[in-house]
Amino acid sequence: MTDFESLLRALVGAGVEFIVIGGMAATAHGSAHVTVDLDVVYRRTPDNIARFAAAMAPMQPYLRGAPPGLPFRFDADTIKRGLNFTLVTAAGDLDAMGEATGGGTYEMLWPRSEVRQIFGLPVRFVDLETLIYLKRAAGRPKDLERVAELEALHAERAKE
Amino acid sequence: MIAAADPLWLSLEPDPVIEAYKKDVDRTLLRENLKLTADERVRKMIAALRLVEEIQRSREPR
Repeated sequence: MTDFESLLRALVGAGVEFIVIGGMAATAHGSAHVTVDLDVVYRRTPDNIARFAAAMAPMQPYLRGAPPGLPFRFDADTIKRGLNFTLVTAAGDLDAMGEATGGGTYEMLWPRSEVRQIFGLPVRFVDLETLIYLKRAAGRPKDLERVAELEALHAERAKE
Repeated sequence: MIAAADPLWLSLEPDPVIEAYKKDVDRTLLRENLKLTADERVRKMIAALRLVEEIQRSREPR
C-alpha cells in the first residue's frame, strides 16, 4: 500500500513545490472513494526539479510497469527531459506530472489550489472545481463515476 | 472558487452520462465526510484502504 504520509513528508520536507490532484485531492475534499496512488503536479523550474529529484532519491523511484534493469535514474536531467512520470517508489506509487491533462501546469493550477494540513504538513491541493474539470478533461471512462461523485460533493458543499 | 464567467467553469456543462451516474452517488457518505477535516478524511480513506488490502490478503491461497 502506498505510504502517503512518507511521500508527502519527503516532498514537503525538501521544499518541493507541488499540487496534489487526483484521488488524494478528491479524498481531501470529501470523496468516499479510496485511492492507491499519489498524483501531483510539480513545478518545472530548475531549482524545484533539483529538489524533487533529491527528495525522491532515497525512495528509489522507478518507472511503474517497466521491466526491471532499465538504466533509469529519476534525476534532474531525466525530469528535465521528460514531463509526466508514473513511478513506483519504496513508499508506493507516485504519478508526477509536469502538466495534467486539460492544461494543468503548476503555474496554472496554483491560483486554483488551497493548502490543507495533512499529517501535520501544509499540503497544497487543487480546488474541487478544478479537480472536476481535470477529471472531465482526462476523459477516461473509469472517471465518470468519480466525476459524478465530485459534482454531487460540490452540490452538497454549496448547501452548507 | 472559479468565477461564474471563468471559461473553465463554463466548460462544466451538465453531461448526460455523468448525470446518470449521479443518481447512484451515496450522498450520506459525502455529508459525513464534509463534517471532517481534510486530515481526518485522508486518514479515514487510508484506514479503509488498509481494510480492503487485508480482505484481499485473506482471500489469497495459503
